[in-house]
Amino acid sequence: MFKKIFVPFNGVFILILIGLILLPRFVDPYWVVFSLLVFMYIGVGASFNITAGYLGYVNLGHYVFFGISAYGFSMVYVKGVPFLLCMAVGIAVTVIFATLISYPFLRLKGGYFALANFGLIKLFELVASSLRDFTGGTQGISLKPGYRPFQTYFIFLGVALLTVFVCYWIPKSKFGLALFSIREDEEVAAAFGIDVNRHKMGAYVLSSVFPALLGGAYAWYSAYIDPETVFGTDKALLPVTMVMLGGTGTFLGPIVGAIFMMIIEEILWTAAWLPVWMKSLHLTMLGLILAAVGIFSPGGFVTLTPVTVFFRWIGLGRFLGASHKSLDLERAPIQ
Amino acid sequence: MLTVLVQLILAGVLQGGTYALAAFGLSLIFCITEILNITHGEFIMLGGLVTYILFAATGLHPFLILLIVIPIFIFLGFGYQKAFIKPILNRPPRQLLFSSIVVTVGIATAIEDTTSFIWGPTVKGVSFSMPAFTICGVVISSLRLSILVLIIGLTIFLHFYLKKTFVGKAIRAILQNREGAMVIGINVPRIITVVFGIAIGLAGVAGVFYVLLFTIGPFIGLPLTIRYIAIVMLGGSGSLLGSLVGGLILGVAETFAGFFLGAHWSLSVAFFTLVLVLLLKPEGLFRHV
Repeated sequence: MFKKIFVPFNGVFILILIGLILLPRFVDPYWVVFSLLVFMYIGVGASFNITAGYLGYVNLGHYVFFGISAYGFSMVYVKGVPFLLCMAVGIAVTVIFATLISYPFLRLKGGYFALANFGLIKLFELVASSLRDFTGGTQGISLKPGYRPFQTYFIFLGVALLTVFVCYWIPKSKFGLALFSIREDEEVAAAFGIDVNRHKMGAYVLSSVFPALLGGAYAWYSAYIDPETVFGTDKALLPVTMVMLGGTGTFLGPIVGAIFMMIIEEILWTAAWLPVWMKSLHLTMLGLILAAVGIFSPGGFVTLTPVTVFFRWIGLGRFLGASHKSLDLERAPIQ
Repeated sequence: MLTVLVQLILAGVLQGGTYALAAFGLSLIFCITEILNITHGEFIMLGGLVTYILFAATGLHPFLILLIVIPIFIFLGFGYQKAFIKPILNRPPRQLLFSSIVVTVGIATAIEDTTSFIWGPTVKGVSFSMPAFTICGVVISSLRLSILVLIIGLTIFLHFYLKKTFVGKAIRAILQNREGAMVIGINVPRIITVVFGIAIGLAGVAGVFYVLLFTIGPFIGLPLTIRYIAIVMLGGSGSLLGSLVGGLILGVAETFAGFFLGAHWSLSVAFFTLVLVLLLKPEGLFRHV
């Protein structure tokens, strides 16, 4: 058991980890904030990958868990409750919500599931801006401000590592095997004695825990949340774009996608040589990148040769392949 | 109170009618290509926008603008199909699901953002009115009445188009069994192109009615698509009657919720309808055309 799980995380991985822990000592705070956002998106993206990649249910509204937890956290935190208790409240609210909503929603298939979840984001944005007494409406909630990028950096690093670790563990476990077989064919999986509904629900709820952890911490870090910042459409689509860009259903996909996308965003926002209209249209860029990925590279970046060669070279080649060989069944093509 | 109720039901039926037109296009696309076209709501918005621009520029009668909008949107549908749907159509099922979501969400976001950049995020409406008349205390505007007549006419036309013409029969054949349709020599790619033309054309028509009845803004697209999903789930996919009934139910429910709770709750009605349908009758009310 120990060997199976820990031995792959050697060499390069430990070097990267030490580098990340020492990073805040040596670089400008600007880059600390940049990398904590990268960790946040890795956490959200990798947990999105649990349902989308491993279970095969594309949960477009995955970000809603982040928002619910952020709101749960803030609504308790302004009352003067200690930090850890608030985190617990945020996570509890999110997990209860995920459990309740998973029952009707996991009956949906494919695109319907994706869109119903996407509707959830819109609905929560609406609810958060309408219920003025609880959520402060469009004004949002302001927490006690403070300068805390360094604490947040380590919290987010920890959560991102935890998420990545769980995403590494799932394909090796019996639970993961059940998820893969559900992804390939639900009826066959049920016929082989897998409790399909319980596993789907388990994956859905498990994937909601990580955004919940991040959401509470994010509210604490930014000291201000409003419906737009935690339930906005562009915010919700960004992690999805990252994972699709990196490659769904693979271990490295969300990480590669998040880093690449954050660099692109950074260039789009800060580069002085880009015309202003390109910055105003950055959501259009995001959409077109998304569409281009869907049309030209359905497997994501990790299937492209230069990326593969690079990862083999630094010694992480074994994380590259799809976590589990997909048997995607053939259908008569349209001639 | 009774007149208010009658008024509300009339308004709801009208709203539901515009929903049903576009929702049928969505469900047709979904049944034939297995692609959930999330961009659908954006075409409604674009239809309304084209009407708004043409009306502001020329001052034509909106129903004449309708005649201009229909061919524009049919060709827009052909182009959309050619550029974005065709490249992903032949992928195996799960990859098709991923690619279709990614592509259509991406295009929808891009359309939304570009529209709000060029024409501004403000709400737009066409201020066009026709005389109203009163029957038994119920005020009926003749604009609304003529839109209702047009919707009914279009639905009947669509019904006969699907039942009587060759293309319509081919569409129904593909709905029932795609491989079988291929075997008997139906040109499936061409029919798919036609289906996209019809669906996007209907969305454009719905957009014209929408801008006449309500107002449009650049961000109405995605919430509208969510409503159509609720309608398609409610009515059962690929069924004209189902879309019509689902649209009417949702339209009336939304109007009542808007009147009694406040207008901003109307989207949540669609959402709760969706959840309710999933819990009670996951397969929808009707099957196929």
